[in-house]
Amino acid sequence: MTGAPPSPQPTLRHLLGQVHRKLILFAVIVAGITMLVSGFLVIHGYAARNLVLIAQTVSYTIEPAIVFGDREAIRSGIASVVGADAVASVEVLDADGRRLATWTRPVSDGMASRLEQAASRLIWPTPVTRDIARNGETIAQVRVRGSAGGIAGYLLSGAIVSLLCLTFTIVVTNLLARRLQDGVLAPLTRIGEVAHAVRTERAFGRRVPVSGLAEIDKLVQDFNSLLEELQGWHTGITRENQELVRQALQDPLTGLGNRAAFEQRLQLVISESVANDTGFAILYLDANRFKAINDVHGHDAGDSILRAIAGRLRLAVRQQDSAFRLGGDEFSVILAPCPSRGHTAAVVSRITEAIEPPMALPDGSTIAMTLSIGLAFYPEDGTDPLDLVRRADKSMYQEKFRRREFGHDESPC
Amino acid sequence: MLRPLLSWVLASAMAPTLAGIPLQGGEDRTARATAQIVTSILEYTRWPTPTNPVQLCVVGPALHAGGLTGLVLSDGRPIQRIPLPAGGPLTIQNCDALYIGRLSQDQARRWTAATRGAAVLTIAEDDPECRSEAMFCLLFQPGSLSFRLSIDAVARSRVRVDPRVLRLAREP
Repeated sequence: MTGAPPSPQPTLRHLLGQVHRKLILFAVIVAGITMLVSGFLVIHGYAARNLVLIAQTVSYTIEPAIVFGDREAIRSGIASVVGADAVASVEVLDADGRRLATWTRPVSDGMASRLEQAASRLIWPTPVTRDIARNGETIAQVRVRGSAGGIAGYLLSGAIVSLLCLTFTIVVTNLLARRLQDGVLAPLTRIGEVAHAVRTERAFGRRVPVSGLAEIDKLVQDFNSLLEELQGWHTGITRENQELVRQALQDPLTGLGNRAAFEQRLQLVISESVANDTGFAILYLDANRFKAINDVHGHDAGDSILRAIAGRLRLAVRQQDSAFRLGGDEFSVILAPCPSRGHTAAVVSRITEAIEPPMALPDGSTIAMTLSIGLAFYPEDGTDPLDLVRRADKSMYQEKFRRREFGHDESPC
Repeated sequence: MLRPLLSWVLASAMAPTLAGIPLQGGEDRTARATAQIVTSILEYTRWPTPTNPVQLCVVGPALHAGGLTGLVLSDGRPIQRIPLPAGGPLTIQNCDALYIGRLSQDQARRWTAATRGAAVLTIAEDDPECRSEAMFCLLFQPGSLSFRLSIDAVARSRVRVDPRVLRLAREP
């Protein structure tokens, strides 16, 4: 209707799809984060207890070695207890804070290793410390630093699982959402199609099929009833319009076209002739001595004479010609298209012959009628409708005058 | 899996040079180290009946027993040194522990045999191969002091030694 908008208007399908995608994304991210955070907290708790346990075990294992002052035994004692990847380093300090032994998990030089170390410092900012006491006297302290290895592994696998879940959920819910969208959109689209067809093609007979969805079917029902009402109105109006047009263009007495129909037709024929470069002729016909019949026999007789003239005219002209009653006893015929004047003359003489037999009056008597016929040719006598009409009229009056003057009955064609 | 193994291998490789109590300096230092190792063994020893003080009998000529006087365990029990003549009667009734000095193999065995069935801990100073059937045999090596274990003697004895201490023994 209006010009194309700069950005395409969002469609219902697009909107539904977008909402679905956002919903899925939100749900999976929330679930994933919840799982990761709660998992992290639980595992962190276990790992912390594990570190305390390791510190306890280390303390217990290396206590005699400390008493004996055997550093190598301390180191091997630590190494025998500390396994897996839960511990980053173990440090043993004596009562005076001097370092007795240090155990550090061997690390590779890679980027991942450095990342892991950074993560370890983040997750375990302070070491788990435990005093080694002998008979109430602290003889040493064990410091165990945790490693992020295990937790990072959990977080990584959790993130990967979440991602996979997200992908899977998006695919599945997209399929489900598409089914929903189709279920909602297809009936709406059908309603739209029918509405469009009704508007553009006046296809008031179309109906929207039921969809099986309660809300939409209610709309479909209402829409269809509206269409039915519209169809009724449209049919009525069309019929009335046709009747009005017919009334506007038809002479009620004779059933011929009236003056308005004549003017329309003349205009149409002129445009056709211009387009096809052809010519045609119009006839103006007037019943002679008609006023006298009216005066002597009454208007009923006049009307029946007019009806008779109209009927004979209709039969005398060819199928492609058209006859009109312009008013009173004036008639007109448009002969289209006329190849020659001779041809036109033939039509004129046929009309004259058709009128000649006496006509019956309502009182049973008969009367013979004659017509004065004027002619005008397009384009020789004018290209304007008014000129043509004037010319035909003038020609007719000349004929009528000649009849009065010389009393003969000769057609000019 | 590999990393703990690697660290263990590394630790094992370094063992010979660093094992035991480091020994530097003269006789004084060795005596102090000997005193520490003896005290530590006594620390982790349990007798069937509580002992207070702990009576440490020293038999025979001992080279490194100079530091074995006036020692106190961490729980406050004093260690009482009781010298015994090597050639005298095998009177071990008052001994909770027996430090065997430089005796011949046979003499040492006589003493260890005497402790059989009694709650007496035995330590041999001069038996690096640990054949005198003493429970603990001191191992004086250049630069360090450690000990060996006669597991049979330990098993037979009525005193109980903390198993963690047994792990500190050098393999024969």
